[in-house]
Amino acid sequence: MSGSKPDILWAPHHVDRFVVCDSELSLYHIDSAVSSELKAGSLRLSEETTATLLSINSDTPYMKCVAWYPKYDPECLLAVGQANGRVVLTSLGQDHNSKCKDLIGKEFVPKHARQCNTLAWNPLDSNWLAAGLDKHRADFSVLIWDISSKYAPETAVATEKVRLSAGDVEAGLVVTKPLYELGQNDACLSLCWLPRDQKLLLAGMHRNLAIFDLRNTSQKIFVNTKAVQGVTVDPYFHDRVASFYEGQVAIWDLRKFEKPVLTLTEQPKPLTKVAWCPTRTGLLATLTRDSNIIRLYDMQHTPTPIGDETEPTIIERSVQPCENYIASFAWHPTSQNRMVVVTPNRTMSDFTVFERISLAWSPVTSLMWACGRHLYECTEEGKASSLEKDIATKMRLRALSRYGLDTEQVWRNHLLAGNEDPQLKSLWYTLHLLMKQYTEDMDQKLTGNKGPLVYTGIKSIVKSSLGTTENLRHSRSGSDRQADIIQYLSEERSLALQLCGWIKKGTDLDVEPFLNSLEQEGDWERAAAVALFNLDIRRAIQILNKGASSGKGDLNLNVVAMALSGYTDEKNSLWREMCSTLRLQLNNPYLCAMFAFLTSESGSYDGVLYENNVAVRDRVAFACKFLNDAQLNRFIEKLTNEMKEAGNLEGILLTGLTKDGVDLMESYVDRTGDVQTASYCMLQGSPSDVLKDERVQYWIENYRNLLDAWRFWHKRAEFDIHRSKLDPSSKPLAQVFVSCNFCGKSISYSCSAIPHQGRGFSQYGVSGSPTKSKVTSCPGCRKPLPRCALCLINMGTPVSSCPGGSKSDEKVDLSKDKKLAQFNNWFTWCHNCRHGGHAGHMLSWFRDHTECPVSACSCKCMQLDTTGNLVPAETVQA
Amino acid sequence: MELHILEHRLRVASIAKESIQLFTYGLIKLAFLSSKTRCKFFSLTETPEDYTIIVDEEGFLELPSSEHLSVADATWLALNVVSGGGGFSSSQPIGVTKIAKSVIAPLADQNISVFMLSTYQTDFILVRERDLPFVMHTLAAEFTILRVVNGETVAADDFGVTNGFVKPKLVNVRTFLVPLAVSALKPLFCALLATVNVVLFCFFRVKDSVVGNEDSGHIRFFSFSLIEGYISLVMDVQTQQRFPNNLLFTSASGELWKMVRIGGQPLGFDECGIVAQISEPLAAADIPAYYISTFKFDHALVPEENINGVVNALQVSQAEKH
Repeated sequence: MSGSKPDILWAPHHVDRFVVCDSELSLYHIDSAVSSELKAGSLRLSEETTATLLSINSDTPYMKCVAWYPKYDPECLLAVGQANGRVVLTSLGQDHNSKCKDLIGKEFVPKHARQCNTLAWNPLDSNWLAAGLDKHRADFSVLIWDISSKYAPETAVATEKVRLSAGDVEAGLVVTKPLYELGQNDACLSLCWLPRDQKLLLAGMHRNLAIFDLRNTSQKIFVNTKAVQGVTVDPYFHDRVASFYEGQVAIWDLRKFEKPVLTLTEQPKPLTKVAWCPTRTGLLATLTRDSNIIRLYDMQHTPTPIGDETEPTIIERSVQPCENYIASFAWHPTSQNRMVVVTPNRTMSDFTVFERISLAWSPVTSLMWACGRHLYECTEEGKASSLEKDIATKMRLRALSRYGLDTEQVWRNHLLAGNEDPQLKSLWYTLHLLMKQYTEDMDQKLTGNKGPLVYTGIKSIVKSSLGTTENLRHSRSGSDRQADIIQYLSEERSLALQLCGWIKKGTDLDVEPFLNSLEQEGDWERAAAVALFNLDIRRAIQILNKGASSGKGDLNLNVVAMALSGYTDEKNSLWREMCSTLRLQLNNPYLCAMFAFLTSESGSYDGVLYENNVAVRDRVAFACKFLNDAQLNRFIEKLTNEMKEAGNLEGILLTGLTKDGVDLMESYVDRTGDVQTASYCMLQGSPSDVLKDERVQYWIENYRNLLDAWRFWHKRAEFDIHRSKLDPSSKPLAQVFVSCNFCGKSISYSCSAIPHQGRGFSQYGVSGSPTKSKVTSCPGCRKPLPRCALCLINMGTPVSSCPGGSKSDEKVDLSKDKKLAQFNNWFTWCHNCRHGGHAGHMLSWFRDHTECPVSACSCKCMQLDTTGNLVPAETVQA
Repeated sequence: MELHILEHRLRVASIAKESIQLFTYGLIKLAFLSSKTRCKFFSLTETPEDYTIIVDEEGFLELPSSEHLSVADATWLALNVVSGGGGFSSSQPIGVTKIAKSVIAPLADQNISVFMLSTYQTDFILVRERDLPFVMHTLAAEFTILRVVNGETVAADDFGVTNGFVKPKLVNVRTFLVPLAVSALKPLFCALLATVNVVLFCFFRVKDSVVGNEDSGHIRFFSFSLIEGYISLVMDVQTQQRFPNNLLFTSASGELWKMVRIGGQPLGFDECGIVAQISEPLAAADIPAYYISTFKFDHALVPEENINGVVNALQVSQAEKH
């Protein structure tokens, strides 16, 4: 603390005061700056605070170190260590009360003069002041003074009169006899009292760190190290100590004092100060010479006690409180993360270290973030509809309603999904038709090349029909006047129509069943359009009339029917002219498409094909009927790309469950985040190799994680079962075996392969026929399996409902022998104490107990199981 | 008790009085610009005969080689006794007296030559590097022997204690006691911790005084050492007065010391048992003493008030020997 480098100290109790000390002591009072104008004589420390100089004390020259009296009263009592080793008590307070007066000016003089390096007040007995001095050949370097002691002439050595003026001695102001002397012929560079005990003192000596125990001063614990500067105890973790040497900070655990538990990254310049934050755990601030930043090390996440081998993680960051080099800093004793810094030219700055913000999404829709001591939870406010629209909410509800798990009636899955998304509806119908087609083909053992073709979607079906079997024919069926419409037909095209759902297999282009089902659903416009596209205007009109007359039907349908009935194929008729212009005003896309079809030239049906609101399957079916090969191919190609780009699930009809389908699904997932649908959909394509696509695996894994995060463990298990049914390769191999204690072989053989033995082995023990392998014994060596800790019956036996229950209970249980494979009978044991037994017994035991059921074992098994106490979310909701 | 073997490898040299100016540059650099050298151990002692320099190998490079510089052939290592833990009774004997029994006498018994350097902060016992295994073997019973490596103390390896050392030859030593005139010297131990500039100023003032007082019949003695950052000065009271007040740290009791010079002719480096002969009687009489060896002679420092007791004790011991 020479004149060039000021130090700074906060008052320990008067939180608005601090002292800056260089060649003199200056006491400042800190105010909040209410107005933007500075009061006369005050200094601005930050935007909110100013400091006013209260007093200056220049009574003590050659200051080397300063320590503030830790008690509330007297207010501003400071101990100053001087270059000649003397320690002087001085004050900055204006009001000198009587207690203070006794102490002020008191001097503590070592026998041999040398520099005083450090001072430390005992936190528990505030009369004790430890001073650390430089080395002297015949003196001690750690002196503990009692500030309440009076000068006793009889203990003073006569020769001291040489150097002590008579006045001082008489006033009782000079003390030469320390309470304790420690560290002979050594130097002390830093000191701190250990909060564990009043009489424990940690000192950084010349080449070692030493813990002195004043109860037995002949002994010390020490460790040889270079890092002896600036020892300081973590105020929140009393066994953790920091010290430094040049640019390196060492962190010590006093319980394992042989070597530092960790050393922080070495700084290129020597350190000048290291201090734990008093208001937050595990935050260490360090300052190096000629630097304008303070480096912070957050040991918040260090497990305590610090592990033996594992390197604790430390988050390092730096703050820059001001532009200039920093001479020193001091944490505020109570205000959170606040510090003042002082520069060599004594400008000061008041500064609060901003806490790192950590953020966490919950698996449902809320968000938490923490800053300092505040924890904020954010949930979306107001409209529940926006919450319901969220895909996560939807997926949760769908998971609960067993969405995706209906493998018999695949199309029903869209009902499970809530029947509100047309794309999902289309998807599941497509998958349904694909599946049906596939299984029918398989049943009838049809040509092998068709089965896989089904899964590849209409796009490749259409491609395969190129130039092969093409039947053109003019059709005049239905309407009398439908003369010039060309329809195309081929085996592949009819397969495509089947997949579009227009026709059934083998029913030879009969759309009637399809129309009937549409009528039942009340989808009049679509039914009419399909009828019309099958060139049956009468049927179309009939459907529209039916629709108009039905309960909820739109009366306008009659009007449309009327318009439809006026159809003429004359090119320039008024009807045609009006229809082609007015059709655009029709709201319903199907009605619009109908008139587009009727008014278009043969071979160019853009009005129908590019009517985007018409379902893809209908447009594709239409195209299959009326476009020639080249046109059809071009249209399908174009539509597929559109679908892929938009991530429209209707496009699965075109792509099938191929790589194109995965591409399409990828953009769907990108758009919606719906990994659930993606997972279930792709699982349906199990025979093909789309499942091997890493994107698909990624969706599946994410969906499983999502279910786990929601605590839908049963749903996750159901999904895994479903998955392994459809994709046997995903079935994991057994990874855990229960091995016999005696022969070391797996005992699973006995549990799975031996049929249930209809007798209670618990009653007969192992005295049965020796040739017969028992469930209760190892199949390898026939030695008995371990006993359940609760019922004391060998494992493998059926569990009784209550351990030690009555005979009748047991009988009931014996009749339920078949439960052998049920969960209650499973082996379970604690990985810590290795005690265990039947899962059912263990579960019921730990419902009421925390400790292991084995007597004399105090293992808290259940508490060690981090997931054991969690409850699946489904059961909570149910 | 711990015995620290310091990492400095030291050379002991002597500069003839008249040729000191040849070495001014190097000496000033070593004494005052220690940050410019890698030297960590430097001691300069002026006696009427010569200037004795003890310096580590890094510092030795700063001195020009010259015929006026006599260098002892061996490399020396510094030992330092640390009372690890230890009690806190202030009546414990200090200085050489403290270690007379435990270190100096056993080494003398084994005919190991030692070179002593007392400073304000501590006492250094210099032994030849080649004697080290023997020293360790001798002292292992009494001390925990630690070696300083890179500033950290580590347990010293027990390297070849029984092999490879040269047994020092036994020399029958005649010691000469030269009690100095009472008025001649009142050496005073001082530690000086101040800025380099101040030291520089003081140093030259001292030099001036040496020249000025040449005729007055005083025996010149001035010792300066800068070891691991600690400065220690030994000088007479007259010289001390040339320093400003409050610059020098002395003991609170302000005691003064008298010097006893040992050896009527240069002692050389092979003779052993000299320190033991002086320190043992003093230890027996419970008189604290410090001891500074130079290239030619040895110097014991004893408290002023004990000088008569010292002379008596030494004469008795001398008489017993003959």
